[in-house]
Amino acid sequence: MNAFWTSARHEVLSITRARIAQLLLVVFVGMVSASAVIGWITTRTVTAVYEGILAAGLTTAANPFTDVAPLYYARNSAIYVVLIGCLMAIVLGAQATLRDRKQGTSALVLTRPLTLRARLLGQLTGMGLVLAAVLLVSTLISWVSIAVITAVPLSGNLTARLLGFAGASWLLLMVFAIIGMISGLFARRESTAFLAPFVVWSGIAFVLPQLGTAARPVALLNPVPANPVTGDSFTALSALTGPFAITEQFKTTASVLLQNDLVAGSAVTGVLALAIFLIAGVIAITLVPRRKIRSALHE
Amino acid sequence: MSDIATVARKEILELRRDRLFFILIGFLAVVTVISVAVGAADFRAQLDAYNRYVADVAASGTGVTPAAPQLFPLQLLRGGMEYLEILGALFAIVLGYASIAKEKHRGTLPLLLSRPVQRFALVGGKIASLAAIWGLVVLALTVISAIAVTTIGGGTLTGTDLARLALTCGFAWLYLVFWSAVAIAVTVLTRQLSAGLIISLVIWLTFVLIIPQIGDTMDPDNQVPGGLFAALQIQKPDELAVLAQFAGFDGIRNGLEVSSVTKHFERIAFAFLGIKDQYNQQPLSLVWVAMLPYILALTAATLASIVIASAVTTRRALQRKQS
Repeated sequence: MNAFWTSARHEVLSITRARIAQLLLVVFVGMVSASAVIGWITTRTVTAVYEGILAAGLTTAANPFTDVAPLYYARNSAIYVVLIGCLMAIVLGAQATLRDRKQGTSALVLTRPLTLRARLLGQLTGMGLVLAAVLLVSTLISWVSIAVITAVPLSGNLTARLLGFAGASWLLLMVFAIIGMISGLFARRESTAFLAPFVVWSGIAFVLPQLGTAARPVALLNPVPANPVTGDSFTALSALTGPFAITEQFKTTASVLLQNDLVAGSAVTGVLALAIFLIAGVIAITLVPRRKIRSALHE
Repeated sequence: MSDIATVARKEILELRRDRLFFILIGFLAVVTVISVAVGAADFRAQLDAYNRYVADVAASGTGVTPAAPQLFPLQLLRGGMEYLEILGALFAIVLGYASIAKEKHRGTLPLLLSRPVQRFALVGGKIASLAAIWGLVVLALTVISAIAVTTIGGGTLTGTDLARLALTCGFAWLYLVFWSAVAIAVTVLTRQLSAGLIISLVIWLTFVLIIPQIGDTMDPDNQVPGGLFAALQIQKPDELAVLAQFAGFDGIRNGLEVSSVTKHFERIAFAFLGIKDQYNQQPLSLVWVAMLPYILALTAATLASIVIASAVTTRRALQRKQS
């Protein structure tokens, strides 16, 4: 087995043995699974509310939830990927690079016939495998939950859409895992290594979209992307910040894949944007100087 | 000087030399100003749209001119308050964690505890210093917010507005002290330093982001853009009558929301700043009475977190071997 795969295998083992990592993975899978149930209960209640309004003769409008798409029940998963998934990826990424620095094993590791590039990319691959496995498990749970709620197994097209959503989620999580890894390599303190990517995440998830859409931070906790405001300086700002607001790009992609008719746009644009960020992150990892992995850590 | 004051003074001196602390607070100040600027630009966009509509109505000579959008300056602080809710809590956790972690990491605890330090001096000093620091930070943010509202936002703040702002500042202080005390308790109780930070972050994620998000998701009126009842053209009294039939569901939803201290702070801040329409331009005494349950809950949560942090910070817990 070459050094790259040894590193990847080591990373998978390290993540699966770390209790904190396990806790985060369980929280993520649990919330994604719960989102379908929450969506179902809410839809049922809203339909009952509508029927009450209709019976009282207060409206003649059609039920906005008639013929709701089965994947509607998975739409909240998108926000849990942005909230829990990204933070989980940051923690995994930061822990991966901090581990060697904290334990002082980097000097020993680098005495082996192993380049720093192979070591870091191997770690990233290991994380990618764990994240892919977690997303597959959550997709399977979503599939079963939706099939139970709608009493019909999902068709091939809907299953492919659900898998596409998992793929887009993986791309987003890998970007944040890389941000965590880089922070773990460059931070002088352990708390900074975790905090700096969290600040970057909050900038991407809240500040950038707010500049282009005037959406408030709490409104951005919605699984549906915020609509750009037209007029004043928003149009120009939206064009400037939009491509960097990758969590909003992801929400658009997720909404399109999960058949949310209220969201217009293309899933491909978001996937491309995420892929570009991932490639840029991988290149950045390969440029990390060797001394960084051996630098001392303070608190 | 008492032991608590000595520890507090040392903590404040250390924070003064901490670049990370100033970066975090600077970030919070910047996003607050950005929020005011975005809110003001959004208001201008609404005003422009209104003026265009009025011009169209006048040109066609038909229809009734609706009331012009009105600027309530304190409402421009909504984004800033939400950042304080989310990022302020995160930074409070980091400062609380760091205050204990640095002692454990540097190995200064055995030396410190070899001195005749009182039982609660160490944790008391740390909480007191963080409370003082958060007091200063919140005060600075309030001044920055007031300046941003009057300059960038183009609003005028009256004496009552300033009183509302000052009261909100006090509640923000309670909220931030709560999160710092929680982080201290968790860091003391965990063997691994990074585990202390990550568990605190999971608590933050759960109570600041996930629970309020689930509450919002379960709100029937949030299911359709613009609101379900608005889409069905239902008047407010009818809406309340319909919702009364779903009291059980709404009770669970509200119960979820109020289990998060963040929601308590949000409701208090939004009421005092008039962000919530129901309390906008209402007398302070009326807002105070309406918010009393939330104020009591926030105060009780903060006191409880301080008591728990003090109780768990024992010599044994602090000197426990790290794994």
